[in-house]
Amino acid sequence: MNEHTPSFQRPFDDALKGLGTDPIPAGVYYDPDWYRLEVEAIFRRTWLNVGHVCELPEPGSFFRCELEFANASLIVARGRDGAIRAFHNVCTHRGTQLVGAARGKAATFSCPYHRWTFGNDGQLLSAPDFERFYIDDKASCNLAEASVDVCAGLIFVNLDRRPRQCLREFLGPMGEMIETLPVSRASAWDEYVYEIDANWKVTFDNFQENYHLRFIHKRTNGAPPLETTENPYNYPMGFELFGPHRMNTSPGGSVLDDPPKPLLLQLLGRMAAQFAEEGLTGGAHDRDYFIFFPNLYVFGNPSMHFTHAVLPLSAERSRGVFRFYWNGEPSGARAHLARELALAFAREIHTEDGDVLMKGQKGIGSGALDHFHFQSQEVMCRHLYHSVDRMVRDYLSEKGGAR
Amino acid sequence: MSAARLLPNGFAPLEPFVAFWAADTLSGRDTCRLDSSEEQRLAFYGAAADLAGQAWDYLDGKPLADYGAEDRRLLYLMLSLVHVALAVEVQRDGEAEHASGARRMPITHCHTDPV
Ligand code: FES
Ligand SMILES: [Fe+2]
Repeated sequence: MNEHTPSFQRPFDDALKGLGTDPIPAGVYYDPDWYRLEVEAIFRRTWLNVGHVCELPEPGSFFRCELEFANASLIVARGRDGAIRAFHNVCTHRGTQLVGAARGKAATFSCPYHRWTFGNDGQLLSAPDFERFYIDDKASCNLAEASVDVCAGLIFVNLDRRPRQCLREFLGPMGEMIETLPVSRASAWDEYVYEIDANWKVTFDNFQENYHLRFIHKRTNGAPPLETTENPYNYPMGFELFGPHRMNTSPGGSVLDDPPKPLLLQLLGRMAAQFAEEGLTGGAHDRDYFIFFPNLYVFGNPSMHFTHAVLPLSAERSRGVFRFYWNGEPSGARAHLARELALAFAREIHTEDGDVLMKGQKGIGSGALDHFHFQSQEVMCRHLYHSVDRMVRDYLSEKGGAR
Repeated sequence: MSAARLLPNGFAPLEPFVAFWAADTLSGRDTCRLDSSEEQRLAFYGAAADLAGQAWDYLDGKPLADYGAEDRRLLYLMLSLVHVALAVEVQRDGEAEHASGARRMPITHCHTDPV
């Protein structure tokens, strides 16, 4: 079994060693009580990426965003004054949802029930027969706001109206790094979405370890012969932790498997020439995955430039949103080809993970295991577990202290 | 020859594939791939792979804004061929399994789709 020992080994620094080597309690990945604690301790009071400023190109542009974990629906809108705000999609008269459209442009939002009408800055503008209410302060009927801020063009919301940290402080040094990426100048996006029967951490972890690549992505990511390469499992070249956030550096491009691919290679060649011409190659972070707590990846590669956010839907269900960001419309046919192929190739790989995620959740959710295992190269998953665990414990002790 | 030409000069052998494959949106082209039979994919790939270089050179020779209906059809056909190349050359006999995964991950927005 051990005739071959891969020579690739990343030396671990002290920060990573501090995460220990213990088996991981499985209940954290399916127990509904633990899930409710995560929602309170993390998702209801943490900055979450829900979109990009390019979705709100002009005053009045808005999109609706569903945060099922909190039973919340938000409207994220650019007001007449140009400012971006996030409101609960809830009429302040008797709570009716205001907006059904996924996105659009509107000067006002009118409630379908009794026609209370709000500005795109959230102010109550008019309410039929308002004199009959017992309300002294009309402004108290403005739409309830959530916190909202922007980094690298990415819009983050926080259901906590008084966040403990502002967005920049929360994102830390990695926030500054992603500001140098093309996403901060993007004007257009493509998107694909999935919902899956897997705990949000089971889903998220899949995308922060490379151990599975040679087995699950045999066709799209290659499986070089074990004995002929330095790094047959395509493990990251490095890891770094920034508080609850982390990043890793990919060892490099996919290796395509054996049968010849004349057409694909020709198309990939055209794609590469296009991205080179647009200056979308290289850069300081072209192999870096920025992994923001709790649920956001940003890939620093300027041509395969995507974000991936994983939202919890329930203890054993989650939704992932992949976004590709571009600057401007394609300048010609080859640019169109390059963008379509970059997205299609990435999605080709991403679609391969779903089946094993559901199988993983089935097994974990069965309760058959008290614990499971992360190896040293699954340290990003271990770090997420530690970050979640710490925040839930902090929340419980805050609550205990307040009693 | 037929009165209504579907594609620019030189690409007549691809005309039989226009009706099924020349979808004008990304999700449409993806759906063509996922809904097609292996026979359909192989027939399209067989006819189009060798013409792809010529087609992209032709398409690159014109600004997108100057495209006529025939040029646009050729562009959509060639973009569909990107997805077919992945099915035929990468997934091969794994395409059915791949398609069930891809259906769980629909394309929900594309900036190049006509509005
Ligand atoms: S509930 Fe909205 S106006 Fe009555
Ligand atoms: Fe994967």
